[in-house]
Amino acid sequence: MIIDINAYIGHWPFRQLRHNTPDGLLRLMDKNGIDKAMVSSINAIFYRNSHAGNEELSDWMKAHRDRFIPFATLNPRYAEWKEDLKQCHEEYGMIGVRMFPHYHNYKLFKDEGLEMIDFATEMDMVISIPIRMEDRRQRHWLDNVSDLPLSDVESAMRACPEASFIILNGRGFEGSSLFKDENLKNKNFLIDISRLSVVLQREIPKLIELTGISKIAFGTGIPFNYPTPSLLKVQILDASEQDKEALLWRNALGMIES
Amino acid sequence: MKIDCHSHVNGRRQNWGWDHNDRLIDAADKLGIDKLCCSIPIMSGMPKPDEIEICNDDVLECMRRYPDRILGYCFVNPGYVNESITEIERCVIKHGMMGIKLYNQFKCSDSIVYPIVEKAIEFGIPILEHAGYITDPEQALSQPKLSHAGDFASLAEKYPEAMLIEAHIGGGGDWEWAIKSLRHSPNVYLDTSGSVIDEGIIEIAVRELGADRLVFGTDMTMEGGVGKVLAAKLTESQRESIFWKNMQIILDKKRV
Repeated sequence: MIIDINAYIGHWPFRQLRHNTPDGLLRLMDKNGIDKAMVSSINAIFYRNSHAGNEELSDWMKAHRDRFIPFATLNPRYAEWKEDLKQCHEEYGMIGVRMFPHYHNYKLFKDEGLEMIDFATEMDMVISIPIRMEDRRQRHWLDNVSDLPLSDVESAMRACPEASFIILNGRGFEGSSLFKDENLKNKNFLIDISRLSVVLQREIPKLIELTGISKIAFGTGIPFNYPTPSLLKVQILDASEQDKEALLWRNALGMIES
Repeated sequence: MKIDCHSHVNGRRQNWGWDHNDRLIDAADKLGIDKLCCSIPIMSGMPKPDEIEICNDDVLECMRRYPDRILGYCFVNPGYVNESITEIERCVIKHGMMGIKLYNQFKCSDSIVYPIVEKAIEFGIPILEHAGYITDPEQALSQPKLSHAGDFASLAEKYPEAMLIEAHIGGGGDWEWAIKSLRHSPNVYLDTSGSVIDEGIIEIAVRELGADRLVFGTDMTMEGGVGKVLAAKLTESQRESIFWKNMQIILDKKRV
């Protein structure tokens, strides 16, 4: 079984995506042996009222709940976001919230950011944080957003010790407090492998040496990215079958069931 | 079969993040890459000929150590024209390097680069040049003489016999801009390397330029480099062309 913790549905305003409808994404997943995917709405990042994107996602998900694990996207600076998040959880069955502080103009580790993490955690929702959506070197002139510093995520984790985090599209973890600081590395978090390597710089093997396999999970970034690089990484990773299973699905499942 | 047209080895002046060049060979073995075309460019300032010679000597050492696996590009700084020509002759004629590597010291369309292009034409070897159309103003500032696809098109028009390889379509900013800019430059090849693995990048490049103008590369993003070509919706013949045939055709044109 494979669970992709880093997938999206919807329209990206700055580049034409393919496979970005529910059926398209399912076909891409089927072609690549991906059984389930944690998905959120790309549209919701850009709508002033993000919740409209969650409503769309909820409609799209209805026929495919066996394959998609939906995440809400909300802006904690927008009106009545708490009611919206509650609806996402209770009515739409969304098990987590993806936060985009760099697109929604707030700090993850201050005021609104922490309020959303705490509120979601009270409902047992997982916090998912994409460090970036696109490489800055190719950014559209209207997409004036920098990568989220890993230190912002670390600060939020320190401030919200009970929360569960999924960190996406990140790198540079091996020197970070996340994997060095005893307080942080024992927190409930997962990182995805979409920007990490197995060979040469060996980021994935080095992280496994630091904490074991328990903090790493399979993620691709579809439909932004080709899924094959992540599949190749698992294929060539020198690890036991048990560890590969943990990476491919057990860690992800553990996170949403915990 | 796979030939990586854009890779690097560690040397005295440059360590790319692995402890020994054996790691590069191990990685290539794991991913089914048969040959790697490598260089050691100096990525800032205006490197002097003696500094450059050290880099090229270290590539030559790797060519000797891994004779069936590592091919070498001769890195030069076009700002030292005479020394560059001498270094190219030393590395290519005497030691068997397969091409020339240029970085961002000058735009490739600058007339200072012409003697080097003419030498490459004379020898029948390709020029691989670091490139990008960086749309982020802050990042663009750090490489003011970075060549973009328009510069390649301009050079290609002046020298239609030259074999120019624009580096890392997946590591050079707006790749759609780059691909479109090269539509009418049949002697410019695009290397598929870089850390950007945007879905569709290979198919769009093939649609716009044809599979015969793409050459597989990693630029050290090994899984991404192989993965994007494997993932792309191509015919097997197109995939083979990209993975090795196009580069082999280029390599076979060497006259010295």
